[in-house]
Amino acid sequence: MTPSLPFFTLARIAWRSLFIQAGFSPDAMQTLGLLYALQPAWPHLYAEPEAQAAASKRHLTPFNTHPYAAAAMVGGILHYELLLARGEGNAEEIAHFKTTLMGPLAALGDGFFWLSLRPATGAVGVALVPLLGEWAPVAFLVAYNFVHLVARTWLFVEGYELGARVVPRLKELKVPTWSNRLRTVTAAASAGVGAWLTQRFGALTGGESALLAALVCFGLGAVGVWMVEKKVPPLALLYGAAGLAGTASVLW
Amino acid sequence: MALERRAFLQAMFSRPLVAATVEGVLLGDVLSGLYVGLVFELFFLGGASLGGAHPDHDTLPAVSAASMAAAMGISSGADATPAMWALAILICAPFGRSGLWLENRLDKRARKYFGRAVRATDSGELGRAARQNLRAMWPQFVFYGLLCAAAAASGPTLASFVASAPASVLRALTWSYPAMGVAAAAVAVAASHAARKNSIAFLSASVTAAVMVALRLRGEG
Repeated sequence: MTPSLPFFTLARIAWRSLFIQAGFSPDAMQTLGLLYALQPAWPHLYAEPEAQAAASKRHLTPFNTHPYAAAAMVGGILHYELLLARGEGNAEEIAHFKTTLMGPLAALGDGFFWLSLRPATGAVGVALVPLLGEWAPVAFLVAYNFVHLVARTWLFVEGYELGARVVPRLKELKVPTWSNRLRTVTAAASAGVGAWLTQRFGALTGGESALLAALVCFGLGAVGVWMVEKKVPPLALLYGAAGLAGTASVLW
Repeated sequence: MALERRAFLQAMFSRPLVAATVEGVLLGDVLSGLYVGLVFELFFLGGASLGGAHPDHDTLPAVSAASMAAAMGISSGADATPAMWALAILICAPFGRSGLWLENRLDKRARKYFGRAVRATDSGELGRAARQNLRAMWPQFVFYGLLCAAAAASGPTLASFVASAPASVLRALTWSYPAMGVAAAAVAVAASHAARKNSIAFLSASVTAAVMVALRLRGEG
């Protein structure tokens, strides 16, 4: 009988891939997570227990990528394991797929999800606080997870169907262009929130001085950006701002 | 939330804005959670786990500060004030570093689960090998849960400090809340890595400030 992976097993593997970082350690990194995700596939691909153990051992080498991009890696590994089980591929192809793609996919995932989408949706979520109040975090979750969950599902399916040919498909998405746009959104939304805070809570400093206090905060924000760029630790900036405001409240 | 941050899914339920607001809802003071979470969300906006190196822990200070601020409010018999939010932020902000230290310790501890998985694979127990992945999760759940509970438990003590503090201290704390918000926004702008971020930020802040001043003047008029 030709080895194949039933839909339910694929769904189970996709679900398990959500735990890819559960057993993260400095040396093995996500290897335990990969082992856990792939485990339901072995009985369908290899009839002999020895062959199943050999398949499991193939994936005990260090593995690390972006947790969302891991969906493409898990799908791709299944693609090549299926070829191997059918006698149409070899184990070197699987190792080559892992070693050549986990780094670039990690860079792509870090750049888009961690350094662009998450900051942008987070900053917009915060900027929605004046309008939506306690519903702003919900808006953030919906916006972020719409992209996140669609991307993770798509990456798994494309990886499974195409193997290494998922790379040209990813290029078509023009991820760096979207990343740059999202970073602009982050800067604009964050600065807008800073200005809103000075006005909203500057009023607490008392009547006529409120506008002046807000202007000082505005200057503090500009100096703050410059200081962070000059490698001043963010914690020092946070405490410095609190100290300045506290001192001003005594002297004013 | 301690597990969702890294071990499972990463759907951002553990982000400061969400986690602190949920904590506020649970403790009956949603505004404390929201406004404490807002500052920490901006402060930790650029943090990312890259190549196995972790950033400061963003959930721990946010949840601890939200618990602390809400508990202070409850002890005082009303909702927490901006002075209480500021005090909670000032106390809990360094927890990001402590959380990172703990996270690295727990990662090192997880090595033993990998060793067990290798041995189980060698002896043909593939199911047992795979399950080691889930066993590595429980210490995170226990440690972070205990730390957040401790922060909430410290709330009443701090509330008595705030109640007995001179007016000048309360005034200083009240003033420091928007200042810390602005500092956090500056950290976020710098971490955005956007091309022309300074001019974009200046334009956005100016427009927002102008709109708010106009709205205020219209209200007074």
